[in-house]
Amino acid sequence: MAVAMEEAADLEISGCNSNSTIDDNGCAWTDWSPVMDWGPLSADDDFRGLIESMMCDDPTGLAPTSFDPYWNSNPSSTTTSVGTSPVQEPRNGGDDNEKGLRLVHLLMAAAEALAGCHESRELARVILVRLKELVSPAGATCGEGGTTMERLAAHFTDALQGLLDGSSAAVGGQPASHRDDLPCDVLAAFQLLQDMSPYVKFGHFTANQAILEAVAVDRRVHIVDYDIAEGVQWASLMQALVSRKDGPPPPHMRITAVTRGGGGARAVQETGRRLAAFAASLGLPFTFGQCRLDADERFRPGGVKVVKGEAVVANCVLQPLNAAGTRRGPGSVASFLSGAATLGARVVALVEEEEQEEEEGEGDFVGRFMGELHRYSALWDSLEAGFPIQGRARGLVERVILGPRIAGAVGRAYRGCGEGGWGEWMAGRGFGRVGISCFNHCQARLLLGLFNDGYRVEEDGPNKLVLAWKSQRLTSASIWSPPPPPPAPADLLPVGAVSNSMEDSYLLLD
Amino acid sequence: MFPSKKPTMNSHERPMCVQGDSGLVLTTDPKPRLRWTVELHDRFVDAVTQLGGPDKATPKTIMRVMGVQGLTLYHLKSHLQKFRLGKQPHKEINDHSIKDASALDMQRNAASSSGIMGRTMNDRNVHITEALSMQMEVQRRIQEQLEVQKHLQMRIEAQRKYMQTILEKACQTLAGEGMASVSYKGHGNQGVIHVGAMKDMGSPMSFPSLQDLHLYGGDDQLDMQQHMDRPLDGFFQANEGVCLGKKRFNPYSSNGKSPLICADDLRLQELGSAAACMGAQEEPSKNDQLQIASSVIGGGIDMDSITDVYETKPVLSTDGTGEKKHEGSPKLERPSPRRAPLPVERINPMIRGGTLPQTRNISYG
Repeated sequence: MAVAMEEAADLEISGCNSNSTIDDNGCAWTDWSPVMDWGPLSADDDFRGLIESMMCDDPTGLAPTSFDPYWNSNPSSTTTSVGTSPVQEPRNGGDDNEKGLRLVHLLMAAAEALAGCHESRELARVILVRLKELVSPAGATCGEGGTTMERLAAHFTDALQGLLDGSSAAVGGQPASHRDDLPCDVLAAFQLLQDMSPYVKFGHFTANQAILEAVAVDRRVHIVDYDIAEGVQWASLMQALVSRKDGPPPPHMRITAVTRGGGGARAVQETGRRLAAFAASLGLPFTFGQCRLDADERFRPGGVKVVKGEAVVANCVLQPLNAAGTRRGPGSVASFLSGAATLGARVVALVEEEEQEEEEGEGDFVGRFMGELHRYSALWDSLEAGFPIQGRARGLVERVILGPRIAGAVGRAYRGCGEGGWGEWMAGRGFGRVGISCFNHCQARLLLGLFNDGYRVEEDGPNKLVLAWKSQRLTSASIWSPPPPPPAPADLLPVGAVSNSMEDSYLLLD
Repeated sequence: MFPSKKPTMNSHERPMCVQGDSGLVLTTDPKPRLRWTVELHDRFVDAVTQLGGPDKATPKTIMRVMGVQGLTLYHLKSHLQKFRLGKQPHKEINDHSIKDASALDMQRNAASSSGIMGRTMNDRNVHITEALSMQMEVQRRIQEQLEVQKHLQMRIEAQRKYMQTILEKACQTLAGEGMASVSYKGHGNQGVIHVGAMKDMGSPMSFPSLQDLHLYGGDDQLDMQQHMDRPLDGFFQANEGVCLGKKRFNPYSSNGKSPLICADDLRLQELGSAAACMGAQEEPSKNDQLQIASSVIGGGIDMDSITDVYETKPVLSTDGTGEKKHEGSPKLERPSPRRAPLPVERINPMIRGGTLPQTRNISYG
């Protein structure tokens, strides 16, 4: 059984190699699926025959392969092993699975067509049309009907469509279809997501515990938060600070939220008010402030007021689940992390989405696209597994929160700006790893225990915990200590000079 | 040559032994265990001494030196541990008496002589010591875990409360905009979906309930505690028809204490450990409420501080706190007894998995 699963995984993923194989050796395709006789097709030097055969609605054409819980199973976590010939027994639920499989093939083909070796926008358009036919009758786009796979595919289809059209989604803006989401819908969805999955809490709690430990004996704590969103993370930290035993009385807590200015700043101000009220209800002395990013979204540590004797902590949660849903560019994040060092932060807590392992190392679009497909299908699955009958609730979450993220993720994959791996970046810049304590580990495990069985905590190095759904990594929390800050900017180098300092050009170019 | 030994006096010894092909003596009970015969133990001790003593020797090196087929690292690890522990009492003697040599000898003799009695006693000591230290270790870990659980619950609760404040504000805004509570539908499609989603979960606003969905197999629409705010009263009324009348679990019966601790009580009792009472709260009544989430703080409770709930009010009676009762349903009372077994089995990840596995979920030791 396990073998079959692996093969299923191979089946899925080998497609990533397709760009190199369709014409030259075609063997990947042929090896890939016994289902169809690829022989004559691969002889065509061209995709079309392939696509057409996939698109034909003839179920007998595709022998039922057991597309099984590929999404649900434990595929070998390396996403793209080269496809070998998977021989599957037909499953009873074959129909659904078939369809799911077909959707995946089509998505992959569309991605290929958009950006692979055989780029052909026309072809992509055609495929997307077909995809839409397949997914929409189920009402999938409304986020309620259809199977899990269909809904997932619908979102990806939309994302690809957005790329094709060059719509704002592709450029990183908010997908048009989602702008009408009501704030209360979004909030409700956010709440639902938190309740249905440990996704959000995992990062927050792990980071908070690490912060707590770092400031165990301090009287003043100053947190600089890169993306405060609704401030949900801090509620539990406040509570923990108030109830710490055998220590000094609750410290004075100060939060500086980094914002972009404009409308965002107002929302953040509102968050600040809420946090202040909450802190007051707990009896925790609290202050809130904001720090604006520059026009180019760079963080300037100078904008943060630091009081003597306070412990500064930097918090960077790169998991935007709020309404804005848009991420800031990598330059911004880098500037923040570097700035944290300048501020003399005691620890830097980082919560980010886990990078999908990429097989080829080329990091081409198709590979990244498949990676995102895996990631979100794992997420989808995890929700479904935990709450199988609450279809509508899941639908809301999927539509309102995950959908936009998919669009963003696909867009980023397309543009080739992979964002993950800040941990590595920090390690490269001399940040030290701060070990995750036993308490923290234990807490993470217990937290996951409250949810479905399929979640696991993995340890990736001494300072990083990863939340995974059945071997598909979802998100991670890691703790770092900044290297000693570089010489003060007073020693400015002339503009344009090469600087070896850690911030690179982010801070010194002034 | 490893003669099969007759069973010794120890009650825990297995009655039947067979001699395996490798010359090792294995028992025939369902789980074949290696019998450390005197001869084998002799070789073991020799190997250990050769390697510089029980502290220096490692299972791997011992295995190599002993060169016995069929002996696994696992066997050696546990035997080495026992050996080390067994040596402990002797060590003290070593330290301050001239008898150390003889003590050591005693150890060796006990092991190597055909005096089973001697060896048995040593074994027994070793076993007792080992058992005691394991017990202490287990207790310590349990205590640690209880601590962590407690804190985790408080934190989850804090987060929940905070989310509520957000949602309240949002709802107030909506109410202020003149929307009737029931008619989120006023927003057309999305409103309907929203309502639908909320109905689905009973209410997204009451966080812990969703966990209960999971816990109770999600086979019901749990109607969630509606400690919601005025504006949504109507909404929930509307829901009532859907949600009420089903077999309903009351996730939030009275106690606000961490139910996990209750579960632990049970578990600990199973383990026969005295730690059962430690750290936990005393109400036996809680044994049938195994909910994980910090629930009770339902409804409009204006807690001054969350810590209050957990620290000063071990039993938080639902009536006393002024929370809004769930319309028409009796579920604020004790849950029906039939629920008791369920949680014990299902909910608590602590219990899951039975024995002391080092699972990711729980590890008692």
